Amino acid sequence: MTKDSTKTDTIIRAGSVPAMPRRAALALGLGAGAAAVGARPARAQGQTVKVALLAPMSGPWARQGQMMRLGADMAIDEINQSGGVRALGGAQMELVVFDAGDSTEKAKNAAQRMVAQHPDLVGGTGAWLSSFTLAVTEVTERAEIPWMTLSYSDAITNRGFRYVFQMSPTADDQASKALPTILNLAKAATGKQPTTIGLIAGNDASAVSFMRPIRETELAKHHLRAVVDETYTPPLSDATSIVQRVRNGRPEFLLCITSNVPDTKLLMDKFAEYRLGGDRLPKVGNGGALGAPELGEVVGANIIQGLMGIVANWGGKGQEELAQRFTARTGEPWLNQDSLMTYADMMILREATERAGVADRRKVADQIRAFDLTDGVALLSPGGRLKFDEKGRRVGAELVIIQWQSGRAVSVFPPSVATHTAIWPST
Amino acid sequence: MRPGATPRLRRHGMILAGLLVAYLAISAVVTNSYYQLMLTLVPIWAVLGLSWNVFSGYVGLTSFGHAAFFGLGAYTVALLLTMLNLTPWIGIPLAAVVGAAAALLIGLPTFRLRGHYFALAMLAYPLLMSYLAQYLGYNEVSLPMRRDEPVTWMQFTDPRVYTVLAVGLLALAMAISMVVENSRFGLSLMAIRQNELAAEAAGLNVRQWKMRALMLSGGMAGAAGGFYACVLLVVTPEAVLGMLVSAQALVVALFGGVGTYWGPLIGAAILIPLSETLHAELGEIIPGIQGVVYGAAIILIMLLAPEGLYWSIRDRWARQAAPRPSPVPEAPARVPAAPAARPSPPPSGKTLLEVRGLSKSFGGLRAVDDVSFSVVQGSILGIIGPNGAGKTTMFNALNGVLPADRGEARMDGEEIIGRKLFEICRMGVGRTFQVVRSFPRLPLLDNVLVGAYGAGLPDEEAVTAAREAITRTGLTHLTDAPAGGLTSKELRLMELARALAGRPRLLLLDETLAGLGRDECDAVLDVLKGLRAEGMTTIIIEHTMHAMLRIADELLVIDHGRVLAQGHPREVVEDRKVIEAYLGRKWLARCSK
Repeated sequence: MTKDSTKTDTIIRAGSVPAMPRRAALALGLGAGAAAVGARPARAQGQTVKVALLAPMSGPWARQGQMMRLGADMAIDEINQSGGVRALGGAQMELVVFDAGDSTEKAKNAAQRMVAQHPDLVGGTGAWLSSFTLAVTEVTERAEIPWMTLSYSDAITNRGFRYVFQMSPTADDQASKALPTILNLAKAATGKQPTTIGLIAGNDASAVSFMRPIRETELAKHHLRAVVDETYTPPLSDATSIVQRVRNGRPEFLLCITSNVPDTKLLMDKFAEYRLGGDRLPKVGNGGALGAPELGEVVGANIIQGLMGIVANWGGKGQEELAQRFTARTGEPWLNQDSLMTYADMMILREATERAGVADRRKVADQIRAFDLTDGVALLSPGGRLKFDEKGRRVGAELVIIQWQSGRAVSVFPPSVATHTAIWPST
Repeated sequence: MRPGATPRLRRHGMILAGLLVAYLAISAVVTNSYYQLMLTLVPIWAVLGLSWNVFSGYVGLTSFGHAAFFGLGAYTVALLLTMLNLTPWIGIPLAAVVGAAAALLIGLPTFRLRGHYFALAMLAYPLLMSYLAQYLGYNEVSLPMRRDEPVTWMQFTDPRVYTVLAVGLLALAMAISMVVENSRFGLSLMAIRQNELAAEAAGLNVRQWKMRALMLSGGMAGAAGGFYACVLLVVTPEAVLGMLVSAQALVVALFGGVGTYWGPLIGAAILIPLSETLHAELGEIIPGIQGVVYGAAIILIMLLAPEGLYWSIRDRWARQAAPRPSPVPEAPARVPAAPAARPSPPPSGKTLLEVRGLSKSFGGLRAVDDVSFSVVQGSILGIIGPNGAGKTTMFNALNGVLPADRGEARMDGEEIIGRKLFEICRMGVGRTFQVVRSFPRLPLLDNVLVGAYGAGLPDEEAVTAAREAITRTGLTHLTDAPAGGLTSKELRLMELARALAGRPRLLLLDETLAGLGRDECDAVLDVLKGLRAEGMTTIIIEHTMHAMLRIADELLVIDHGRVLAQGHPREVVEDRKVIEAYLGRKWLARCSK
């Protein structure tokens, strides 16, 4: 795994501005960022390469959109400071941002506006929520814009589209990989494989689709017995009965799929009250929101300690410098899934444009389809490989497990990404 | 069709056709695909607004759950396409059928509820369906892209085609709404909105009309949802069954004007582009601010034009156009039309209504207690009694508003107790209520027509009956005046005309003279006398004793739910028991001295 990390170092250096004091880089970055965001005329001496971010900037998912924007802005600034797209004579990259709002219709409208107002886009990324991404890609596919997405839904790449590239493992893939990943982690920590599990999940869309295959096939496949299996309707008003059942069932670990902060807090508080904290009962959830700094603040460092989450990417081993730059630039305490993946998307679009040698969306898409990289931009994603299958899914996309330790969400698995050792009680 | 509807429909049809052609012309030159999408969405939401209006606008029962029909329509099209490979060209009509069927299933249990309870229950249906869709795994149903034969699958590369289809759907929805509003259907619905009880007393089968309206509405919403699925291409519970969808239906209709087909059209044409422009332009600067501005705009409009934009503008316009519609010449038909018109059978001595042992209790209170009396055909029976004596309750028990506990009442030998309100009306019992409710914006003729429709008269005959009733009540000169401008006497007479329009054999009048001045009172009494001369049998509840003495052939005195006395008016008012009931023992003692 050390081999990987050195490669990561190379890419990070390539993407950043070497030998420049951080503060200067920061100032420059901010300036360039401001310039990139403001509508400015095309540079006299050359074309700009236009890419898009379409994400919820308002409404209930605005925080996720904001984190995506932080990553995208940072990538664009670093690209422009390090000489832009060299194959196009140092052409600068320009990011256009569109608000997906709070509904599928608004997301689709925004996509339509994006393709109508910017016919020269070479690619883009978005729109966080699977249902938004589904609608947005209906538009981008028809406009033949290569579209990167971190959304999980299988439906996104099940439609025979040719211009959609899914960076995360799909939902089905996650469901089948989640248990073995956790079991491997447990085995690595304790030396033996757990045989009992507890399941707690809301009956909302994402939790239901995540849990269905687990209940139906995956438990049996991994010789796990569910000693507790609780489904609740969010929002949860009282977690007592659920937690009591967990205590009576005594599972070795718990899959706890919550979908909002209040439910997570209620459950965590109750677990702490019943002395089932992270030091006694390992709990695993899913989704990038589980590692949001504000969740730690709301729940409290002591109570959230040990809570794990399955995510598609996280600032980890070999990305320490990138994470530092990100924190210095944005004030965010760590490099989260949404920012890192959007950062990676921008880098991938740049790489594809470099290879295409022309700011043409179809040629850029051809390059993305032809990728088979295990270095450079490929190292920004877990699994370390950048290749898409015929559906547009990233080959070898791995899951990352993060864990709250001393008030920080850190990566603990797989070892290629992990910066910390997982807390997993041995009894 | 209602009288005068045909020219109005022709005029409005022309206006609509003009608007739609202009709309299509604009859309033909718009090349920006984003603006074109807006042009497609406006008619879709207008159709949903129209669908809401057909039910909630006319019937007056607020539905917070139109997303249920819309969402079912969307899912119908999406699932038929993905699972059975059925093109939306067939899917959308099927979506309309599914919407209507869902309306039937929803209506059956939900019409038991009224007012706020109905609105809240409706809120639950889309929620329930949303959870069901999630449970069934239809969280994200994507309409597959068909690269072969896009036209067969309603997938066009030219976005203008979607706009044309949306406008076509809108034209259809408008046509349906126009026909509904200008026919017996619409007038019956409006009567229900005005006063459900009175509508039923006027002979309308309220439940059936409401059900028809909800089914029509559900069908329209289903079709709109089905087409929306083809435009959005992704169907999720939140997008088609969510609270925002129901709210959208409500908001465009409330904003534009409730109870008119122009309302949702105006609402959608303004609000959809406004919301999207705010989102695109203002949201770019401060994300989220668009919602605040949009909300504030709606609040402002609702404050300034509480009934919606259309009515406010129309009322203002009407006021300016005719500064004061000069109070219609009072003189002409002061005295009701000649009794010569009809052969007037004098009181024949034949008993029309025979009531035996009628009783009605509320818990321990015996509001009507073993009341028996009879009415001779062609006579006027006055019912008097102190406040709370049980007079109105007796009426209610008689004509089916309340179920009687015991007793029987035969009209011409036919039992009427135990029948439904509208059935009793159709047997020939007309009724007026203490509080007059009119359609202020509709002409007097339409107001009266409700009664004729209620009696089940066919269109032509209903209009004749309504005109006849207006003549008999001496309101001919006001036939086309909006009811909103009538005096309270005229309103009383209008209510009487409404009851007469059903060509009843027996009239039940509940405090028809209440609140009228002496002269006005005389005018109404003249009308009643005229009716008696024509052979009408009337039972009237009244407090005004002097009027009763002049008009009634017989008086029935009720106190504490029991019959105190019945007989010739003069004799009855001198009856000691009656004086005691009205004035107390002390007064009686003084009288006797």
